Order: sequence, then C-alpha cells, then structure tokens
Amino acid sequence: MTTWHHDIARAALRCAGATCLALGLAGTATAQNVVKIGDLEAQTGPASVFGLMPSQGVRMAVNEINKDGGFDVAGKRYTLQLFSPDNQGNPQQALVQVKKMLEEEKVQYIFGPYLSNVFNAVAPYMQQYNGKVLLMGGATAMHWALGKPNMDFLIKTIPWDTGTSGYGSMMVDLLAKRGVKKVAILMQNDAGGKAVVDIYTPMFKERNIEVITEFFEPNTKDFTSVLAKLAAAKPDYLFPGYTDTALYDIVRQATEVGLTHFFIARGSIGPGMKNAAMIDSYLAYVPKYFEQAEKTQPKVAKFIGDYKTFYKTSFPYDQAPQCATSCYDHVFMLVDAMKKAGSVTDVPKVKAALLSMRHQGLWNIRYDATGEAIEDFDIVEIHRGGKADVTHIEPK
Amino acid sequence: MTQLILGQLINGVIVGTLYGIVAAGITLTFGITGIVNFALGAFMTLGAYMSWYLTDRVGLAFPAAIVLSVLATMAAGVVADEALFRHTRNNLINGLLVSIGLISVMQAGIAMTWTATPQEMHFVLPGVVQVGGVVVPKMKGLAALILLAVILCTYAALTRTWVGRAAFAYAQNPEAARLMGVRTRLLQSGAFVYSVGLAGLGGALYASLYSIDTGFGYTYVLKGIEAAILAGIGSVGGALVGGILLGMAEAIGSIFLPAAYKDAYGLVALVLILVLKPAGIFGGHK
Repeated sequence: MTTWHHDIARAALRCAGATCLALGLAGTATAQNVVKIGDLEAQTGPASVFGLMPSQGVRMAVNEINKDGGFDVAGKRYTLQLFSPDNQGNPQQALVQVKKMLEEEKVQYIFGPYLSNVFNAVAPYMQQYNGKVLLMGGATAMHWALGKPNMDFLIKTIPWDTGTSGYGSMMVDLLAKRGVKKVAILMQNDAGGKAVVDIYTPMFKERNIEVITEFFEPNTKDFTSVLAKLAAAKPDYLFPGYTDTALYDIVRQATEVGLTHFFIARGSIGPGMKNAAMIDSYLAYVPKYFEQAEKTQPKVAKFIGDYKTFYKTSFPYDQAPQCATSCYDHVFMLVDAMKKAGSVTDVPKVKAALLSMRHQGLWNIRYDATGEAIEDFDIVEIHRGGKADVTHIEPK
Repeated sequence: MTQLILGQLINGVIVGTLYGIVAAGITLTFGITGIVNFALGAFMTLGAYMSWYLTDRVGLAFPAAIVLSVLATMAAGVVADEALFRHTRNNLINGLLVSIGLISVMQAGIAMTWTATPQEMHFVLPGVVQVGGVVVPKMKGLAALILLAVILCTYAALTRTWVGRAAFAYAQNPEAARLMGVRTRLLQSGAFVYSVGLAGLGGALYASLYSIDTGFGYTYVLKGIEAAILAGIGSVGGALVGGILLGMAEAIGSIFLPAAYKDAYGLVALVLILVLKPAGIFGGHK
C-alpha cells in the first residue's frame, strides 16, 4: 500500500534522476567544448621570479576569455580549462606534472617552462608527442633545440640574445661604445648559468672586451670571497646572474667591495633599485618597463588595472616584465591561431597559424621561421639615486 | 693580494660565527639529549622569517624583532621537544628521523604562513668600515660580534655555573648526575630549547645580511655539523673555532680555486683535520 509521502518520495527521486541525467548530459556537452591547456612554471621557490608572473598572466587570460563566453572555432564554441600546477623549479616534479597533463588530461598546449633545467627534463619525454602537442616556453635551452628532429612541438616565446635584433648584442655594443675593456661574469653553476656564459663570452670577445668568469653554487648567499676576487681584477662591469634571489645578494655585496657597474641580461631591475644609493650603473634588459609603459600604453594600463582587480593585490612591477614569456598575450595568440587554423586539435595547423601571426597586445609579437619570438623590449639603465633611462627597441 | 687574503680571513671569521652558532646548538643538544637535531636549520629559518616579518612588515625596531624572534623560536622549540623529541632521548636514529621529518613540516609551515618566494629585509645598518684597507660591512661585523659574544657567554655559563657543571656531569654520567640531584628531564629540555634559541638568533641576524627563503637553513645545519665534527663533538667553544675554520677554508679556497666549489674546500679542511686528529681539534677536551 502506498501512502502520499511514498508518492512524493518517488516523484522526488524521479526529479533527482532527471536532474542528474540533465546535468550529466550538460557536463558531457561542456567537456566536448573545452580546450585543455597547461602551465609549467615555478610559482614558488627561488626560481619563482621567472614563473609566477607568467602563471598569473595565463590564469588572467583564461579567465577573461571564459568570462566573455569563450571563442568560436569552425562553428563551435569553446572555453579553456587550465591546469597550472606549481613545479617549484624542480625538474622531476615538472616531468611528473607534464606526464599527468599529457597522459591523463590529454592536454595539447602547454605554456612554459622558463627554466632550462625543467625544459631539459621534460623535452625527451615530450618528443614522443611530437606533432600532437605544443610547448610554448621561454627556456634558454629551447633555442638550441628549435628546428632539430622531433622538436616540432617547440615554440620559444621570448627573443634570443644574439643576432641583429638581439637585446644582448645591442647591450654589448653599448658597452663597447662606452669603452669598456673588461667584464666579470658571475653566474650560477647550472645549465642556465652556463648557457648565459656560452652566449655572452664570444660576444664580448668579438668586441675586444676581456672576460673573467666565475661560477657559484645554487643557494649561495655569501658572495664576498668571489666578489673580492673579481674586484681585484678591476672589471669595468659585473655581469651577475641569473635569478633575482642571487642578484639581490650579489648586487648588495658587490657594492661593498667597490663594484658599482652592473650588466644584467637575466633578472629584474629590483636589485638595482634597492641598491640605488650605492650603484653607479645598472644596465638591464627589461622586456617591458611597466612603470613607464603604464603611462603611455593603454593596453598596459588596462592589464595593470585588471591584475589588481583579479588578484586583489598591488601590481608587481619588478616581476611583471617576465610576462613577456608564455603569459597573457600568448593565450590570446593561441586562441587566435586556433580560430585561424579552424581547429583546436590539429596541432601542426595551429602552430603554422601561430608562426604566421603578428600579435599586438602588451607586446608586439611575431615568430621567426624556427618558432622563436621576435618582440619589442626595453633597455633600462638605473643610475645612482634611482633615476632610470629607458630605451624602447622595436626589432626590424 | 695580501689585502685580499686578509679581507677574506676576516670574512671567513664573520661567516664562521654563523656556522659556529649552529654548531654550538648541535653539540649542546647532542651532548645532553643524545640526538643530532638536523631541524636546527629549520628553526634558524623560522628565526629569520620572524625577524624579517617583524621588522619589514610589522615595523618593529630590529633589536626588538631579534628578541621576539628568538623567543618565538624557543617557544616552537618547547612544542617540538614536548611533542616529539622528548620521546627520542638518547636514541640517535629516532632523533635523526624525527628531526629530518620536522624540517619538511616546518618549511611547509613557514611557506604557508608567509611566503615561499625569497624575501629581502631592508638595510638595517648600511655601509662599510675600513680596517687597514680591508672593507667590512657594518651589519656583518655587528652580527659577528653578537654571535661571538653569545657563544662565549654560553661557554662561560657551561664552565662557571652550577647548571653548566650539571650539564657536564650529566654528559659524563647521567645516572650519577641524577643521584646528585640534577633534574635531568628539565636539563635535557632546557638544553634542547636553548639550542633552538641559538639557531633562532643566528637566523634573526642572518635575515639582516642575506636574502631568505624557506630552504636556506639546511645549508647551515650541514655546515654546523661539519664545524662541530671539526672541533670535536661536545665542545661549545670548539664549535665556534670549528665554524671559523670552516668559514676561513671556504673564503681562502675561493680566492685561489674556482668559487663554484666553495663548499668542497671546507670539506677538504674537515677531512685533513680528521686524518690528523680523528676526534676533532678539541676532541677529549670537553
């Protein structure tokens, strides 16, 4: 015998079942229209100065695109789903995260990494997916892998130091014009540090600038001994690197032994600003000097405002230039490339579309035939007291 | 060149006092509780973060921040001792495992409470002093003097007070010390917490000299252990000498050899000394 409350219970069950079915179907429908993208950066730890801002920029772009309802490709509307684990600059951790993204989540587009040691760890594994995925990162070591067999999955999102449009070449030229005769390089003893030495030593020597090189172990905090040794050689400029963690300690301790001229190709202007009372020159490659660009470029001003609203925090002007690599602009570029390619899954077509594009966002970005970015940048020189001279370079 | 070497000898002494304060904590804890507390590096990190936070974020004067940092670190030491290390007394392996586990917990706690991104304290005492053409940063010199004074006071307290004699008595014969009225549990906890306080002080001063991150303490605990072994485990005064020798070996080695292998030069000095004196420089003179 049924009672009224049994009827209500049955009706409720039917209703719940129908709701579940509807939600399930909706879920399936949504899942079909999602493009999964990954982010592979150090968001915490000593190397986070390179990875946090790019990760935050990718998250902002994904949020903006999804908030606008997504994007249309070949008559279908898509949204983005972001996987953004923190690898803390640990190559092993990054490899596990990449495997999870590719094998379990079937991600086809990954932004990052900036760190060469992370790239060196994930690249051999990702070669298995050549032609099926894209890795869009800024790692120095990527430069030498571009164009190599089974490396079609690479796009390097930050310009290279050398060549006619290279920021490094321009900065070394500037030193040569100033009559600099001797530069001391002090780099971290790892893949990234050695790559910087390999890139810059020939450039200095070509311009008859003598080079003295020393390395330091990662996690070194007291540089007094090596700096005193370098200071005894009386270099005109000190070229230290390459993380801000090391740079803050090096710049401060260098001024204590009388080294006051700095040449920075990796790292921010933060250490120069902090030690402005004690330095004479802090010449740095800065992808964008946001303090000035905010006043002259509406897109930059909007980005800074949006950042403050989204993260409910002040804008990190010192770390923001790192957004030049695998960050905000690059997500919009990927979406535009998918639209142009007419596919979200045909990776070679999407890559070809990316390489044929010119993007005007925070940066003016295009790629060369190998897949390496060419974009505008600033060379900033901080003088004693904190006055900054900024030269904007728009590569030909 | 003479000036360069002299400058690096002074720098070695300064850096060595930081190794020495950790080494003193290690040797004191080992002598009284029978464990090697690897977590002293994590307590040092806690002291550094507290000092940075109280100075740069809360706006306290640096001396007040140091005192509060040391007290907070000691409070954390009391909790760790009561919850964990009290159960590992005189058990080297268990103590080692617990201390290594505690490092991860404390590092994660520090990262969650503050940040895992490296931080730089504002300049507490900028500028340098010139001593006979040798440049010494003022803050480094001051920090070394404070650490030197604290280690020497600890040594004096151990050799000239009743508590110090009780500690020596306990280290030599725990049973006899207990029968003579030494409150051994209190002594062990006191030694543990005091050692943690030394590490906290080292960290608090460290933050005014270098950038801090959650992992820097690990390097210092390894150097502290090296310094303690170099001196001969059990000697607090020797720990200071061991730390200074280690600092000088690294500084001088970096002048004549590639700086990239600075850590190895201290280890070479350690091996050479242990070959000549297997019990360490002060081994047998506890």
